[in-house]
Amino acid sequence: MEEFNKDMLRKLAHNVMFDLNDQELEELALDFKDYLKQLDLLNKIDTEGVEEMVYPFETPTTFLRNDEESHVLSASEALANAPKTSQGYIVVPKVVK
Amino acid sequence: MEYETIIGIEIHCELKTKTKMFSSGRAEFGQAPNSCASEVDLGLPGTLPCLNEHGVELALRACMGTHCEIDPLLKFDRKNYYYSDLPKGFQITQQFHPIGRNGYVEIDTENGKKKIRLNRIHMEEDTAKQFHTGSNTLIDFNRAGTPLIEIVSEPDMRCGKEAAAYVEQLKNMLYYMGVSDCKMEEGSMRCDVNVSLRPCGSDTFGTKTEIKNLNSIANVQKAIDYETMRQKELLEAGKQVDQETRRFDEATRTTVLMRKKEGNVDYKFFPEPNIFPIQLSEEWIDHIRQTLPELPEKRKEKYMNVYGLSEYDANTLTSVKELSDFYDEVVTQTDEYKLACNWCTVEMMAYLNKENIKLVNNPLSSAHLADMINMVAKGEISGKQAKTVFEEMMKGKDPRKVVEEKGMKQLSDPEAIRALVIKVLDNNPNAINDFKNGKDRAVGALIGQVMKLSRGTANPAMASQIMNEELKKR
Amino acid sequence: MRYSDCNKTLRENVMKSYELASASQEKLNAVVTFADVEKQIEETIQDETLPLYGKPVAVKDNISTKGIRTTASSRILDNYVPVFDAAVVEKLKAAGATIICKTSMDELGMGGTNLNAYTGKVNNPYDLSRISGGSSGGSAALVAAGVVPMALGTDTGDSIRKPASYCGVVGFKPTYGRISRYGVIPYASSLDHVGFFTTCVEDACVTLKCLAGRDDRDMTSSYEPVGEYDKNLNSDLNGKKIAVLDNVLSSIKDERIVNEFHQLMKKLEDRGAVIVHVTMDENLLQTLLPVYLIIANAEACANHSNLDGVRFGMREEGNDLEEIMINSRTKGFSSAVRKRFVLGSYSLFTENQEKLFRKAQKVRRVIVDSYTSILKDCDCIVAPAAATVAPHENDSVDEKMSDTYLVAENHMILGNMAGTPSLTLPYTFIDGLPVGVNVSAKAFDEQTVLNVAKAIEEETQLEGKCAEV
Repeated sequence: MEEFNKDMLRKLAHNVMFDLNDQELEELALDFKDYLKQLDLLNKIDTEGVEEMVYPFETPTTFLRNDEESHVLSASEALANAPKTSQGYIVVPKVVK
Repeated sequence: MEYETIIGIEIHCELKTKTKMFSSGRAEFGQAPNSCASEVDLGLPGTLPCLNEHGVELALRACMGTHCEIDPLLKFDRKNYYYSDLPKGFQITQQFHPIGRNGYVEIDTENGKKKIRLNRIHMEEDTAKQFHTGSNTLIDFNRAGTPLIEIVSEPDMRCGKEAAAYVEQLKNMLYYMGVSDCKMEEGSMRCDVNVSLRPCGSDTFGTKTEIKNLNSIANVQKAIDYETMRQKELLEAGKQVDQETRRFDEATRTTVLMRKKEGNVDYKFFPEPNIFPIQLSEEWIDHIRQTLPELPEKRKEKYMNVYGLSEYDANTLTSVKELSDFYDEVVTQTDEYKLACNWCTVEMMAYLNKENIKLVNNPLSSAHLADMINMVAKGEISGKQAKTVFEEMMKGKDPRKVVEEKGMKQLSDPEAIRALVIKVLDNNPNAINDFKNGKDRAVGALIGQVMKLSRGTANPAMASQIMNEELKKR
Repeated sequence: MRYSDCNKTLRENVMKSYELASASQEKLNAVVTFADVEKQIEETIQDETLPLYGKPVAVKDNISTKGIRTTASSRILDNYVPVFDAAVVEKLKAAGATIICKTSMDELGMGGTNLNAYTGKVNNPYDLSRISGGSSGGSAALVAAGVVPMALGTDTGDSIRKPASYCGVVGFKPTYGRISRYGVIPYASSLDHVGFFTTCVEDACVTLKCLAGRDDRDMTSSYEPVGEYDKNLNSDLNGKKIAVLDNVLSSIKDERIVNEFHQLMKKLEDRGAVIVHVTMDENLLQTLLPVYLIIANAEACANHSNLDGVRFGMREEGNDLEEIMINSRTKGFSSAVRKRFVLGSYSLFTENQEKLFRKAQKVRRVIVDSYTSILKDCDCIVAPAAATVAPHENDSVDEKMSDTYLVAENHMILGNMAGTPSLTLPYTFIDGLPVGVNVSAKAFDEQTVLNVAKAIEEETQLEGKCAEV
């Protein structure tokens, strides 16, 4: 089983865009231990030939939406919650160097 | 050592729908920023995707046009990564179950026809558009969620020219089928090209580079040609090609490094839980197949075999879909196929180009043009008169009215023409002498006078024939 | 408080609830945001014939309410004011209801105690030192305290039915797809259900009829016709086959809970029900929590990738995009949520998917197949909803994988995995604290769940029961 050292866990956290402090990293290392221990329980279940269950119900649907406009937001509604805007755009620091 | 270039192409193509792939927000280019972004397109909390029927239909058309096997059970997946132009933090795509597989596109090469195999066509959604200013990036979410198909070829092309032919062929086809407006310069069709080299005879692939976002067919070819040369030089110098992403620089006509690829990014694909699998009915798929817009190849065949046009004419007509559409309309109203082709491809196009009018805004009605062509064919007006009538028609006038107003009806009564001829001959004894002395040019001048006398209405062929008859009598 | 207790004018009913909510806030801490009540009254459809006209209601804070702050009890959404209503809120308004407040929850629904809310612990109305349960703790507490007759909740593991047990109210999660999820801030999309709390089964019937139905904006929404649940409510159990899930009972240590349950079953038998005992493979039930957590954490991590500080929510500054995202998300999410996101993300990496995420999805199928085969042979399955009364903060076991958990604490996850309708209502009080019984039936057979629940309610006489706060 993989070694969940702090560097690796920090990298995992950065992969989903946040930091963890030292204490959180330590707690997470323990969580991972638990998490992977539970795999033993899962592995007791024979899933040979079993398909993944992605949805609670699996009868295929047939509905497709008509290509008609509805539920439109005005630009001001679209920007209503934006932390930073300029000239109708949402603004972030320059993403290309 | 001789090297072989291996080229594979990924094309992203925006579908021509009114609304987004997964939301009922408007999909339209060139609107005020963030004025066409729905709550779904912005990835606001709690929003859910809902698939656009027309988007699916257009993807199906693309599959049919490229001979793909179609999967009638639609499934979608999430591609997870973080970026400012990706509202949800994932893109909904079809990683595991593309709608189309194993198709091909046929291109013309110097050595005849060649099949370029397609690995897959899948549906997905576009990202937001970003503009970079001094220290900021401005984001417009209007484009976010716009329906896309991605068309992935097998590495079947061997030179820039083949690649260009492939893109051209696809572009033309998708455009004809109404799948996309395929405007590479506006980004509604975008090409990423993978290029690698290997020694001739080898059957393993060399390290490839990816050239991103080529915005014209010419640049596809130029970029590949340059990249081939660059890689060849590296290999010949005993160096290795690095796996990297490059872009084409128009000014220097070279490819420039964007970033090295450090292993593959893991997008953690998994099935989209918010879209149950969707079963497309056989009837619907059949209906789409039956009503598929006619492809250029088919039209060319018809033009040559049914209408008797030359290959050159057929190519000219089908090179622009709107021109071909217009021609098709005209020939439902006249049987003068060749004449109609000439008027469409020469006079009309010249006029539109001169006036800088796009074909979609063509002021000429197909009924008017057909009517005029029929008048010429029946000898009711002369070819020269037709040009005047044409100018007026382009301003929206009915050709019959123009002919009437200008008193243009062609004089085709032989006796009336004979009277004019006699009158001219009587007034020009010298010209008769010239003719008798063998100066053939004199005839032309005499006919010119007949035309003048008739204010241009005399049928020129008849005038010429009667003139010759009368001259012989003198 | 029952709907029928809201029998004065719209304004009087709403103001009374609003005042009760304000007065109880210090004790319960159940409310995140109080609505502008005047504005809500003004916007209520003035039609006395509407089924929920004049009924003040509370809405869990992960359900989008246009113009009312919606935080999902997470700091990252602390300033977020939706520009659209969730489908279920549209339905509430169309039925004439008036929203008075948004209720506290475990952050983004991730938890079963309500201790992990940005605004802190919600206190149990029967004993303020105890927890309400979660994640829909605020809604459960307000209904239990007699503040509102109905409050919306959501349920991914047992987030309606567990707090319903701890707070002694009716908590109902109908079939997956029965109520639209559009506009509901997700936890795990394939397990999330919208539901609600009431103080009696009859109010649950009326509520479900108002909220259920197809919504084209949610592609997982069902076309099944909506029943006349209230008109068809029938507590006659004659010949009804009720299956008791014995694994649950055998894992409960408190004999009083078990004995009271058996007595209840005896009463149902006396009413003509056929009580049968069923067991599921213990090994399979042991996997319920890990399978649930693997799937839920993975889906949650992806679902909440939109919370990045770019388009809405709390942005923390940074020198570049990545810094903004990292700072916003680090500060915006609690430790618990971030740790769970890492666990979820880990199971989705290509090299881990087969042994974690996909394995869990496969085991989910084995579990669901086993569960639905039991359901096929009976009208409903019943079991105590929890192994204990509401615990104190320090004694609570959250949705955390440890090897000491009990099947009794997690069995209601079966209803989320299978998408089947499932309802908890109080059946007894132990040391003055409520304990719930859970009733589950086949997909879209909400009527049977409600009918059996009605029979239980007639036996317990706990209809409309509320705590004095």
